[in-house]
Amino acid sequence: MKMPRFVVAKGFVTVLISTWILIAICFAFAPSSVAPGALSGSLPFAAILAIVGLGQMLVVQQGGFDLSIAGGVSLAVVIATHYPAGDSAYLLPAILIAYACAALVGVLNGLLVGFVRLNAIVATIGMNALIYGGVFAVSGGVPRITTPLLAAIAGGDTFGVGHAVYFALALLLVVTFVMKKTVYGRRFEAVGANPLAAASIGLNVRLHQMMAYVLAQLLFCTAGLLIAGITSQPTAFQGDSLLLPSVAVVVLGGTSLLGGRGFPISTLIAAFFLNQLSQFAFAVGVPYSAQTIIQALALGFGIAIYSIHLPSTTKEIIKMSNWEDENEVIVS
Amino acid sequence: MKLSYRKGRVALAATSLMLSVMGTAAMADTPSWCGPKKATLALLDGFGGNSWRLVTTASGKAEAALCPSITDYQYADGQGNTQKAISDIKSFAAKGTSAIVVFGDSGPAVLPALKAAHAAGSVVVPYRVNVGGEAGKDYTKFIGSSFKDDGVNWGNWIKGILPNGGNVLFLSGPAGNSQGLDELAGMKTVLNAKYVFINPTPFDVTNWDPSLTQQVLSAEIAKNKKIDVIVSDFGPSLVGALPVFKKFNRSIPALATSDGNSLGCFWKDNAKDNPSFKLFTVATGNDNVRLAVRWAVASATGGVLPTEKIFKAPVFEDSVSGKPSAVQCRHDLPGSIYLSAVMSGDDQAKAVNK
Repeated sequence: MKMPRFVVAKGFVTVLISTWILIAICFAFAPSSVAPGALSGSLPFAAILAIVGLGQMLVVQQGGFDLSIAGGVSLAVVIATHYPAGDSAYLLPAILIAYACAALVGVLNGLLVGFVRLNAIVATIGMNALIYGGVFAVSGGVPRITTPLLAAIAGGDTFGVGHAVYFALALLLVVTFVMKKTVYGRRFEAVGANPLAAASIGLNVRLHQMMAYVLAQLLFCTAGLLIAGITSQPTAFQGDSLLLPSVAVVVLGGTSLLGGRGFPISTLIAAFFLNQLSQFAFAVGVPYSAQTIIQALALGFGIAIYSIHLPSTTKEIIKMSNWEDENEVIVS
Repeated sequence: MKLSYRKGRVALAATSLMLSVMGTAAMADTPSWCGPKKATLALLDGFGGNSWRLVTTASGKAEAALCPSITDYQYADGQGNTQKAISDIKSFAAKGTSAIVVFGDSGPAVLPALKAAHAAGSVVVPYRVNVGGEAGKDYTKFIGSSFKDDGVNWGNWIKGILPNGGNVLFLSGPAGNSQGLDELAGMKTVLNAKYVFINPTPFDVTNWDPSLTQQVLSAEIAKNKKIDVIVSDFGPSLVGALPVFKKFNRSIPALATSDGNSLGCFWKDNAKDNPSFKLFTVATGNDNVRLAVRWAVASATGGVLPTEKIFKAPVFEDSVSGKPSAVQCRHDLPGSIYLSAVMSGDDQAKAVNK
């Protein structure tokens, strides 16, 4: 079978075209949603979604799901706001504690899924409940004001662009480089694509699977720290609203839920797409129910374009009818 | 571990407060709503997990402590779980608690439990959230809060600062919440067609979530060249969102909302750079519970029933007239306390902090 030398991933093309179409629609029907001020207000939230999306992508690449993202993000938020209690001098230790907790949660998730072989959804839902115990222990469920230093680092902007966007781009570069250009990254994708084949050539499948959960939690933690800085009085449950979008951007970005190759750039664009979609719905000024429907339809449409490949689907149908004919011959 | 330590400390502080208040109360006049009959009281919360609830709970406890006839005071948190809220109500009724004050977050879902407790002989006073049913038959008395009144107060202030009309942006919580609808109805009684609501009807949905509020507000600012006044029923959630105006090189407009220490301090820090930033707040309503406790205690101990039947949140701050109070800010206390409450800021800080 002949393969072209340079292949562009279908997910990338799809999400890019969808995003361009969305931007065109925004310019035509809701120009305010693409005004510079509106973008600088909404891009930090797209950046946060992109970061959790990258984390979720790593886990999905190993054929898993990390549903403890809600707890992971919320825990980072409450540690970063409650431990320093407004005093910037305590910010660094707070950040270190947050990352240490995230790494611990990641290792536990990884052990449960990679080594004990629990179902990823079950294990991470359980872990999520456990983390929320931690969230309550730290905060009592009560929000606290962000420290000025964290607000300046995460919520400030340079050249009119929020710092969160720079964080997302930097993390994108790191994840892309590690996954595509290092031996570790290539092995990681190989293990995700076919664990049995990877094991037979001597790769440590379980360790790679565990590392996916650890890295994901570290990325979730980063997102939580950014949220803590961007919203001045974050609630203790800030991660809840990120659970479904984090999976959505991975799927929209073209990463297969069965595992294998990851598409970091597409995931980032998908995060921008989803965020812009809600900005569009806000800007059009339709009732809340219609906003929700627009978002759901666009998401369904995006996934449908990606999943249904017309020529191959037609071939499949023809093949199936042939197969039935052949079987009929055998039966008769 | 930390949590129980904190709870212990709060309980200890509250007990000592109760004892000292009881001691002095014995000498001083007891309030008229506190009758001679001995009684026990339970405060049952549907959800206790935010600073507003902590301050409210501490306020309820302080009010109960004013009456020496209350021999035992208990608190239970439904943790946002309707099942637990129902079982809390039932178990306190079964224990024979004489008076039960309920924050019925789940609405009519807790009504059957309230009915059962009432039938079993307890005084039952739901407050703030409408649970349906009928006072006197299903429970003793419902002490609601007049959100419509808040709307009227906001509307009158808006009329004062914008006599020739203007563009109003109204933000509330989850879609269709009755608080937001009542507030809008209140504003509509005062504001005529010269005042244009530029949000989607009936209000912009924010879920009272600071991050969603921020996103909604930046979309509205981009869309509307002219916003004269923002109305929000949860002022502190705007603190993270208002700086968005700076990104558009626009001054923060006037704001009619509910109070919060973080908001007051934000106004103090930003009023100079934002000439159009006027602030008007109504009390957030922590003291709604005090009226409910008075009704419950009066009914259970044979005291004089209060004349007020509904809690009207008083106007608190007005940066224009300075009446009844100028904008207040205590930088030394947590941002998440409410200086409008009867309870002192320092005592609230103790209730809120670990």
